[in-house]
Amino acid sequence: MAIRLSASSSSATLFAPSSFSHETETIPAKKLFGTWACQKNSNFHQNKHFELKASNVQPLKAVSLQAGAPASSPVTERVEKPTQEEYIPFLETDKEESTLSIVVVGASGDLARRKIFPALFALFIEDRLPEDFTIFGYGRSIMTDEELRNMISKTLTCRVDKRENCDEKMDAFLKKCFYSSGQYSSEEHFLELDKKLKEKEAGRLSNRLFYLAIPPNMFVDVARCAKRRASSENGWIRIIVEKPFGRDTESSRELTQGLKQYLSEDQIFRIDHHMGEELVENLLVLRFSNLVFEPLWSRNYIRNVQFIFSEDFGTHGQGRYFDNYGIIRDIMQNHLLQILALFSMDTPVSLDAEDIRNEKVKVLRSMKPVQLEDVVVGQYKGDCDGIRCYPGYTDDMTVSNNSLTPTFAAATLFINNARWDGVPFLMIAGKALHTKRAEIRVQFRHVPGNLYNRNFGTDLDQAGNELVIRIEPDEAIYLKINNKVPGLGMKLDRSDLNLLYKARCPREVPDAYERLLIDAIEGERRLFIRSDELDAAWAVFTPLLKELEEKKIAPELYTYGSGGPVGVHYLAAKHNVRWGDFGYED
Amino acid sequence: MAALSSTHCRSYSPLQSSSFAPSSSSSSSSSSSSSSQLVHLQRVSVSSVPKRFLAAKVYSLQSQTNSVARMQDGAVATSITPIENETPFKKLKDGLLSVPSPDECKDAVGFDINENDSTVSITVVGASGDLAKKKIFPALFALYYEDCLPKHFTVCGYARSKMTDAELRNMVSKTLTCRIDKRENCSEKMEQFLKRCFYHSGQYDSQENFAELDEKLKEHEGGRVSNRLFYLSIPPNIFIDAVRCASSSASSGNGWTRVIVEKPFGRDSESSAALTRGLKQYLKEDQIFRIDHYLGKELVENLSVLRFSNLIFEPLWSRQYIRNVQLTFSEDFGTEGRGGYFDNYGIIRDIMQNHLLQILALFAMETPVSLDAEDIRNEKVKVLRSMRPLQLENVVIGQYKSHTKGGVTYPAYTDDETVPKDSLTPTFAAAALFIDNARWDGVPFLMKAGKALHTKRAEIRVQFRHVPGNIYNRNFGTDLDRATNELVIRVQPDEAIYLKINNKVPGLGMRLDRSNLNLHYAARYSKEIPDAYERLLLDAVEGERRLFIRSDELDAAWSLFTPLLKELEEKKIIPEYYPHGSRGPVGAHYLAARYKVRWGDVGIDQ
Repeated sequence: MAIRLSASSSSATLFAPSSFSHETETIPAKKLFGTWACQKNSNFHQNKHFELKASNVQPLKAVSLQAGAPASSPVTERVEKPTQEEYIPFLETDKEESTLSIVVVGASGDLARRKIFPALFALFIEDRLPEDFTIFGYGRSIMTDEELRNMISKTLTCRVDKRENCDEKMDAFLKKCFYSSGQYSSEEHFLELDKKLKEKEAGRLSNRLFYLAIPPNMFVDVARCAKRRASSENGWIRIIVEKPFGRDTESSRELTQGLKQYLSEDQIFRIDHHMGEELVENLLVLRFSNLVFEPLWSRNYIRNVQFIFSEDFGTHGQGRYFDNYGIIRDIMQNHLLQILALFSMDTPVSLDAEDIRNEKVKVLRSMKPVQLEDVVVGQYKGDCDGIRCYPGYTDDMTVSNNSLTPTFAAATLFINNARWDGVPFLMIAGKALHTKRAEIRVQFRHVPGNLYNRNFGTDLDQAGNELVIRIEPDEAIYLKINNKVPGLGMKLDRSDLNLLYKARCPREVPDAYERLLIDAIEGERRLFIRSDELDAAWAVFTPLLKELEEKKIAPELYTYGSGGPVGVHYLAAKHNVRWGDFGYED
Repeated sequence: MAALSSTHCRSYSPLQSSSFAPSSSSSSSSSSSSSSQLVHLQRVSVSSVPKRFLAAKVYSLQSQTNSVARMQDGAVATSITPIENETPFKKLKDGLLSVPSPDECKDAVGFDINENDSTVSITVVGASGDLAKKKIFPALFALYYEDCLPKHFTVCGYARSKMTDAELRNMVSKTLTCRIDKRENCSEKMEQFLKRCFYHSGQYDSQENFAELDEKLKEHEGGRVSNRLFYLSIPPNIFIDAVRCASSSASSGNGWTRVIVEKPFGRDSESSAALTRGLKQYLKEDQIFRIDHYLGKELVENLSVLRFSNLIFEPLWSRQYIRNVQLTFSEDFGTEGRGGYFDNYGIIRDIMQNHLLQILALFAMETPVSLDAEDIRNEKVKVLRSMRPLQLENVVIGQYKSHTKGGVTYPAYTDDETVPKDSLTPTFAAAALFIDNARWDGVPFLMKAGKALHTKRAEIRVQFRHVPGNIYNRNFGTDLDRATNELVIRVQPDEAIYLKINNKVPGLGMRLDRSNLNLHYAARYSKEIPDAYERLLLDAVEGERRLFIRSDELDAAWSLFTPLLKELEEKKIIPEYYPHGSRGPVGAHYLAARYKVRWGDVGIDQ
């Protein structure tokens, strides 16, 4: 990845002359970190060139830190797979020295099959993985390497723009995949894994990344076994864990403490996969590299901000995990709150992971814990539309019949700082709604003393500007502005200043997991959640969650495929806000 | 968004129309069949009422005209029998997003009693000229088939050449076309329109001839209250003669008389003042409608809407965020044998002092008290008066020379038969202007206008300042400070508004890219955008003065350019020559560089 100045890296290694001395087409040191491109699509391929090199620098730093390797090592540690012939000479020496092993713990699970292996394959196709890497599946089921490969191959696809040699590449990729079976809490089994890994690594400097695609109650066990028995001797070890990180402040802390017995903070990579989405990344770019937005980014101009995340399907027989957590823990406390923090944080000192995360923690800590009266919870009930019937949440066999778990929630949050005092941040998250959608909507205040109001009977104050950052479906950014309808009369119209990604960027947008995996490999922590962040995030929601459970608040029922419980509108109305384009069926 | 109604000439809210007419409910029971007829009839009323504005304002405007008009007002006030058909209610429900302005002309119910009382006669003085043929008659026809003209109207061509009515109609008919979205019954409508066109030949300075015209007009007006609009499509040196004759011999006896004049309004402060004085001997200020047809362009009208009805632009609209503003106008052809007029004026007088300066004033003015014509024009005058007169060192002038490309030779300006060989008249000019007020102090307003350039285009380009302490700058070798935000309002061709923003290129890397937040009119609005002349003619008929230039505005505009123009002529400054079809003289870049600015319209990525 391009800009990578992780806090753990010392700038000495970063700019060690040797790290680019052989890059003969002389990109100045700074440019190594990305290119400013007035994008023409043709640029893409030329530039990919730079990106590759930039990405390489990362493993080196990490290595030298962790293993205490001398600064002179970088030259030899280049693990890049060059696309150009002239690199071959360096490659020969590099190849010998370092290797990356990725262990997917819980390899036969859904997440691993559907997301992790395909993401790894996509990175492989894009030449983003080190030249020398091994992928190990680890799970309890007994499987041969062949069986694993067979299983994986079913979910691999090639991107549209990378179709050529797809089968060939798939084969090459699968050849690097192996399987090792074992219990998650057995140090012995991990020792076996370690042996197998060592075999593949063949004495080279080895970096190991463990992806824990397993239920959270086994996180600590696996961390223990992996750290004790399968750590790299001379490279780094990193462990990726994914939510849920506990059920509340206490259990989250417990998990953190458990992990920290064996791992240091910078070895833990807490994934929130929504943070890897394109527009979340772009949110910072929009805010901080454009003059036109920052002056507006405060209570002076923004009336409210809405974060909407809806799914158009229910639990579909997979409700057991969900029923234990509910939508607030599943979506709000992590995904939406993370996006909120990025949206509302102050300008960080730099784009370094620590600087950004510092700002996020600050914002989270300025937030008022959510109050029960600022929340609406809902649960979907079954519905038949004449053709087919959709089951209610409690019809799910894996869900108890009297479950009060919310499948929908709307909440109003407030940030008590100078920038955002009094601005409601509204969130909606729900399953089994009428659309699948994820977006951020920024509603601006009305134009004070709007001239055009005097001449027209209508209330233009209701037609404020709105900035919409849509993540799903069809990633797009648009700004609603008032505009004159062409013609002889004076009619106003709300038009969009539009940037539809599909129209402009024909390339496929990478999956969130790809970005996060490559970041973890490169040691870039910007998009991962630090433990104090996690703590602050739980502090916002824990009181509410406890109250909901203690008081056994019954969720408002809403019809499968509807616009959600009507309560959300009253919630919004309480703060004189209207949901932008939510709750209308069709 | 609410429907884009296809017939909308003028809009105002149904709420207002009913408040206009206390008696409305009494007759609102009229059946829908009769309502449709009334709806048709009411168009008459348009005559003197700028219908898109509030009733209250209508009165105030009316009272400015003459007493006869006021009589008319009285009639209006008592005669309203509006029909509340279902449209207003529907529109109200339509939501708040759009102003509920349905079929505007049709909405102006309530004037129907006037139908037989009032009429508008539009006399095109100089009917056989180019402007009349190419612009005025077609615009009148477009207004006619959009149902924006009063029920009773007469179009009369007046010129020196001898012609019959039929010959005029024949001539006019050649330039008429129907809009794409109004194709049906086109030829029928054309017929009807042409039936209302007449011709009268006469001298421009002959009172007698105008008296004859008056007779003819009276015949057509048939005793109704007659409103008369004269469009002077003639050379400026005969403006005053024509106005004298028209006002003394052919002005309306019981309605209003208005005169539309078009640039040039003099050559400098003095001659402009002389012209104004001349006109004012015979006309009052509110009878003179000085057209700047650029002000009738859709996106120029939209400029105020953008500024004042969106929260997100106004905070940015000052020296604090705007680095510079560029107003450009280019044509891709030269004078082509018609340089006689042009050579006497030059591009500065022809384009800059009026079109571009007017747009600048609209762009930079403070928020007016209201959208009333006088309030807006007051603000424009204020901005113009805050401006520093142009300095010679802030100007680059050019003249195109011949250029051969692909076997075709494009002539130089001085190759034009109608231009003297040693002419120094600029066909290109670039200038930096400054507004010395609190909002704009130090912000360069760059103007560029030229003929025989590589494109035909008119646009407003707002370049914003760099992001202070841009955190993305630290991580990229490139200078993000150069890739600032930019708002572009493209007036022609291909109307569009877009905002250039920095954006992340989708993909795993972190690369930034300048993308556009776009509003492309052709994609969003299927309707054809009316010609500037249509809007302005309709405004003149309705007495809406917002887009016309008041004499103090004109005065202020001239005082900015007059010293420069005099200096150029006295010192016989030689223009920089540039090849026909090129991007203009490079001097323009040095001018921009002087203020640490780059022209935004000449890069690769516009």
